[in-house]
Amino acid sequence: MAAGDFYFAINATFRFIYGRWGEEALIDYWRALGREYYAELSRRFCKGGLEEVEQYWKDYFKLEPGGVVKITRTDRAVVIEVQDCPAIRWLKGAGRKVMPSYCRHCFHVSSAIAEEANLVFELEDGDGTCRQTFRSREGKAC
Amino acid sequence: MLGVQDFIGYYDWTFEYLRRKYGEKALSAYWEEAIAFDSQHHAYELVKNKGFEGMAEYWGHTLNAEEAGYTINKTRDFFRIDMFDCPSVRFLVRRGPSPGSESAKGPSKDLLIKHSQGYYHDYCEHCMGWVKPIMTRTGFMVDHEHNHQGQCWWEMHRAGAGSRRKSEPPLRGPQDVRKLKAWRRGEHHLYLSSLRVTEMD
Repeated sequence: MAAGDFYFAINATFRFIYGRWGEEALIDYWRALGREYYAELSRRFCKGGLEEVEQYWKDYFKLEPGGVVKITRTDRAVVIEVQDCPAIRWLKGAGRKVMPSYCRHCFHVSSAIAEEANLVFELEDGDGTCRQTFRSREGKAC
Repeated sequence: MLGVQDFIGYYDWTFEYLRRKYGEKALSAYWEEAIAFDSQHHAYELVKNKGFEGMAEYWGHTLNAEEAGYTINKTRDFFRIDMFDCPSVRFLVRRGPSPGSESAKGPSKDLLIKHSQGYYHDYCEHCMGWVKPIMTRTGFMVDHEHNHQGQCWWEMHRAGAGSRRKSEPPLRGPQDVRKLKAWRRGEHHLYLSSLRVTEMD
């Protein structure tokens, strides 16, 4: 199991970039992270399709410390229902002040990953409970 | 979601992102402000309130959680860590060279374990980047050396008149990482009394 205290650094990194350079800079950082650092993941999704998306996130959440997540796949989409987000739980449990826009990183990082894989990403809700969807683009293929 | 299981990978990437977009000074500010006194605020509080005992409490917990190979040696005069298997460097070496790094341009094993295996050109520097500000603010000095191979030693001692060190401390017993054959490998960066001394190949 990975060390949960690293969530502190993720939260602090967002706060630092936002505090120094503003919201646009933070969004630029998230999108660059998705596009560059996760380029190989986009290639995996592109090659393996929704089956790969489903398997990746199932494996991923198994290794995070805690959280309750349900992942389902249909013909056109993979839906990740986060009932108890491990990051938000860890930060709040430690009494940390969570960046107000913390949950937006999921939208921007995963959108960038999805775009490179010719998928669409959608995010609903946040603050510990959310629904994330990776959807196939109609009539398009990698 | 950004999880903690691959944190080291994008932490390293973030160093390079901040450097290329905002410069080295901004990266140093990131280590000091965001990591030392925000992310690691709990470490600062422990060291400030409990000194060497707080260091033992913080690193005992953290290094266990990260599954590091290390020993801790706490005396009246210093607090010491000998790290013989750094979990972060282990992660970066297992992951392999980042796209575009010097290591990625060729299959050389030697290059793979030089300190350019990551996105940022010198991943190991981040530890001094956040540890030193905490120690300075709490009245301690840091002696430290790393070899970019997953091995390093740290010795914190109280700052004060006559406390500045001009040479490495003596060997500290059988657990001293400097006694390992592998210690001389790699490129060494040495700090004495919180100041960078030299680079030794």
